[in-house]
Amino acid sequence: MSESKLGLYICTDCGIGDSLNVEDLQNAGKAKGAAVIKTNPFLCSQEGVQVIKDDINNEGVNKIVIAACSQRVNTDAFEFDPLKYVVERVNLREHVVWCQPPNTDETQAMGEDYIRLGVVRAMKSECPVPKITDINRDILVVGGGVTGLTAALEAAKAGSKVILTEKQAELGGWARKMHKVTPTKPPFTELEKPVIGNKIDEVNANDNIKVYTGTTIKSIAGEPGMYKATLDVNGSEETVEMGAVILATGWQPYDAAKLDNYGYGKIKNVITNVEMEELAAKGKLVRPSDGKDAKSVVFIQCAGQRDDKHVPYCSSVCCNVSLKQAMYVRESNPDAGAYIIYKDMRTPGLYENFYKAAQDDEGIFLAKGEFLGVEEAGDGSVLVEVDNQLLGKKVKIQADIVVLATGMVTSLMPEGFDVNNLTPEYVGNIVRKETQDGVIEEIEAVPTTLNLAYRQGPEMPHLNYGFPDSHFICFPYETRRTGIYAAGAVRHPMDSVQSAADAAGAALKAIQCLELTAQGKAVHPRSGDQTFPEFRLESCTQCRRCTVECPFGVLDEDEKGTPKEHPYRCRRCGTCMGACPQRIINFKNYSIDMISSMMKSVEIDDESEEPFIIGLICENDAYPALDMAGQNRIQYSPNFRFITLRCLGGTNLVWVADALSKGVDGILLIGCKYGDDYQCHFVKGSQMANERLGKVQETLDRLMLESDRIQQVQLGINEWDKLPEILNEFSDELKDLGPNPYKGF
Amino acid sequence: MAEETIITPDLNFVRSLKGAGAETLKKCYQCATCSVVCPISPDDKPFPRKEMVMAQWGMKQELAADPDVWLCHNCNDCSKYCPRGARPGDVLSVMRQKAIEENAVPGFMGKIVRNPFLALLIPIILFLAVLGSTGHLKAPGEGAIEYSNFMPVTYIEIIFMSAVGLAGITYLVSLMKFWKTMGSNGAATSKGFVPSLIATLVELISHKRFAKCEANGDRRIGHLLVLYAFIGLAITTIWITYYYYVPHIETHIPLSDPMKWLGNGSAAALIIGSLILVANRMKDKGIDTISSSFDWTFLIMIVLLAISGIATEAVRLAGIKSIAYPVYFVHLVFVFYTIVYFPYSKLAHMGYRALAITYAKMADRDVQL
Repeated sequence: MSESKLGLYICTDCGIGDSLNVEDLQNAGKAKGAAVIKTNPFLCSQEGVQVIKDDINNEGVNKIVIAACSQRVNTDAFEFDPLKYVVERVNLREHVVWCQPPNTDETQAMGEDYIRLGVVRAMKSECPVPKITDINRDILVVGGGVTGLTAALEAAKAGSKVILTEKQAELGGWARKMHKVTPTKPPFTELEKPVIGNKIDEVNANDNIKVYTGTTIKSIAGEPGMYKATLDVNGSEETVEMGAVILATGWQPYDAAKLDNYGYGKIKNVITNVEMEELAAKGKLVRPSDGKDAKSVVFIQCAGQRDDKHVPYCSSVCCNVSLKQAMYVRESNPDAGAYIIYKDMRTPGLYENFYKAAQDDEGIFLAKGEFLGVEEAGDGSVLVEVDNQLLGKKVKIQADIVVLATGMVTSLMPEGFDVNNLTPEYVGNIVRKETQDGVIEEIEAVPTTLNLAYRQGPEMPHLNYGFPDSHFICFPYETRRTGIYAAGAVRHPMDSVQSAADAAGAALKAIQCLELTAQGKAVHPRSGDQTFPEFRLESCTQCRRCTVECPFGVLDEDEKGTPKEHPYRCRRCGTCMGACPQRIINFKNYSIDMISSMMKSVEIDDESEEPFIIGLICENDAYPALDMAGQNRIQYSPNFRFITLRCLGGTNLVWVADALSKGVDGILLIGCKYGDDYQCHFVKGSQMANERLGKVQETLDRLMLESDRIQQVQLGINEWDKLPEILNEFSDELKDLGPNPYKGF
Repeated sequence: MAEETIITPDLNFVRSLKGAGAETLKKCYQCATCSVVCPISPDDKPFPRKEMVMAQWGMKQELAADPDVWLCHNCNDCSKYCPRGARPGDVLSVMRQKAIEENAVPGFMGKIVRNPFLALLIPIILFLAVLGSTGHLKAPGEGAIEYSNFMPVTYIEIIFMSAVGLAGITYLVSLMKFWKTMGSNGAATSKGFVPSLIATLVELISHKRFAKCEANGDRRIGHLLVLYAFIGLAITTIWITYYYYVPHIETHIPLSDPMKWLGNGSAAALIIGSLILVANRMKDKGIDTISSSFDWTFLIMIVLLAISGIATEAVRLAGIKSIAYPVYFVHLVFVFYTIVYFPYSKLAHMGYRALAITYAKMADRDVQL
């Protein structure tokens, strides 16, 4: 980049000019190196923006600091080519004047510090150089069931070339085994004939889809836009190349052999709902034991489900399946009765109509109840003992067939593993390894499906029960492997209608990923970001922190343990930057030095009795929460200076030392919730920050510095109203601890 | 606690409930709004929610022994608030009919009463046979209208005394059967039978329970009138029997006689009361369920009984000899119907309900009135 020239533009609208001494703000900016300084009464207007543009053209300004409103608003007005200009927003409005009393010394000090922070950040920023390369735009769809077929068709219709692999000899998956399917169209009351055959024909007829049946994946290596897969096609090896992967391998039924207390395996007339489907497809429903007409069928819902001993979760489809199969019973024999014993009847959405229709049938008997036991009666029938909670008593129901609604388990689950007892993150076995540091325990992940050549493991990381981890609510198709999108029952239990919708979503995500990758841009959540982390490898000590901590498995390792980059897998969160003790990982516009310099740029009043606190906040949740506090004119302690991070995962411990030696009294990290219900956009960022913090607090204790001076809070974006309490309490706590002993040195 | 119930599908019972007017019963999804809004349901194991699932599951025996269907007074507050349109009030009313049928001794009588035409044909044939065999099957000739010339009092006495006796015995047996099954399945009792029964009867005189209904509270007046009318008519019958046998008054009693006042007053109460009930039903349900409802059949029979009775008296006073005897014949048929089918018809609810309330009081699960 050529010579940098920084322009500082202060807007005085929205109450900024009324609350702050603008001249002093200008001086603060000037002292930090702003070459051009202007104020404007209405900066986001056309005239205001024109002032900046004129300076760019006439004065050669290439770093623009806009001291006005939140970086989340007026993004269109203040848009300048990111490859040519560094743009930094200083939030004087939401984070200063809207949350502080006007014209006080404290408010003015805050405003000036934010100007300093903004100017220093811009000074330390360079424009990114995007990595643009030729990419492969084909999509590999793994799994030929309803999800895979739909994903392949949707991608092909959007113009992509698709490679579809199916483990079985024929396409169709479980959907092909269904006798009938639950309603898919209004009034959502009638069973329908399966239409999976049409989908198979459509896929076979599509020239853009290449189908491999009898095929498994031996390995997948590479990164978005440049993946290479080795296939095992009926025993012979074949190599294909593609840009993105859709994982659509579906589900497997929970092993009913483990449900022997339900009589499965011991009593012939006790079957699973999957077996019921096969039985119904054969014609008239008869007892498996002796072929006698089935006059009474009992369905046990949640058989081993929502049960910590087996499948702890709800598979969400079994209620509809049992209602459907109860209709089979009624169609097979108009005098037969079908009993459904449920924990809760769960028929979400328009399936409510289906439930009503089934309930209206005079031969379908529903009741909330608890399964107690099962025994064979002399005549070949089965007596099912149930605590019928609606009748308020125990009853025995005589059944010709007992159907167990066993749950859905992800297809990624290796054989012999219990869904309720898995190793964290990577499904596998814990092995003990001899190393030079002694014996350590490690997870040896078990490859099942994708066989990824990734340092972190061969399959998708899971959060719970083996389902590939994704941000469940906000970004369901995003996985922790950029370019690989999970859809359908492989990622959580769902029916074929949902799976088809899921497939379309994942196909579009895959295409979006390829388009962005081709432009050197990040995918969600920093969509469009053209920066990349840069590694100063000559200083690397092969400590492997970055390769371990990256939530997205971006980094592999060479034999020595030096990180090997796969830039297109990167989401630009900076967790690697925070992890590195050697400080060798930085971005052009986001670096360890940048934040350190910012921390050193603030002016601390050594005489003040009030503590001076640095707040490190996440740009995704904490920053907008502070915005909302400002919008609601909620006042809080003026003792904080917030520095925005891409994610708390980028927190490098050197900053703690820098801040404390500068005389800062405390550091508060405000980030997203972590754990099972994490809200972190980068999955593990806030958790990693917390783990690092635990270590630094030990060090502080050793230095006789109170570890309480550094704390992390978890804040949801909707919890802005809690901010005053959180901030004031932390400030009071620091006041009680007294000033940082390094103050004034 | 009784032995664990073994359940097998009984679709016919579900179908028969639906056919008798409980076609909405399968709609219930057990939210228990009905039990919450019911003003007369006990706090302990309230109805009608559990009765709805028993009906859905076709549990005939359990329903026949269930005291709670009788605690229901068909206020229909439940039906008004039911979010699914399952009309628990109407379903329970059908259940009561089924319970009467189930407890009826002998069982076939319960079936006969289901068929109003067959039920009416029996007394018609019986009377025609009696009249034919005794040579009375023609209108008496000269003189004023004298019904005893057409159907001699002795015949009436024999036929109706035996009818009352038969009905009384079978009713008693049915009620005892009900009491036994109710007692063996139901809640434990803590209070004595006699004081509970007395408390029940006192309550029935004022219809206090009915007064708690919200959705169709005006039924109380109609029901009270019908109850008092039947009591009045029963007293009248005893009174006239006394006149006949003691002072030997063998012809018509003048209108000025107090017995006539009681009789005519009761007849008027019966007409007004039953018409209020009819109007109430029309308002509540419309007439579309006429064909299927047991309630309707009996309500109409009572209206016809009252009208034919008053008509019998009116045509005699007006001296319209041409239709007097046929009208009297019709009235006799309705009287016979009312008495003989009493244990199997809707009127039987009187005893079942009284026993169920008594039992609730004994078990201390009666609602505060």
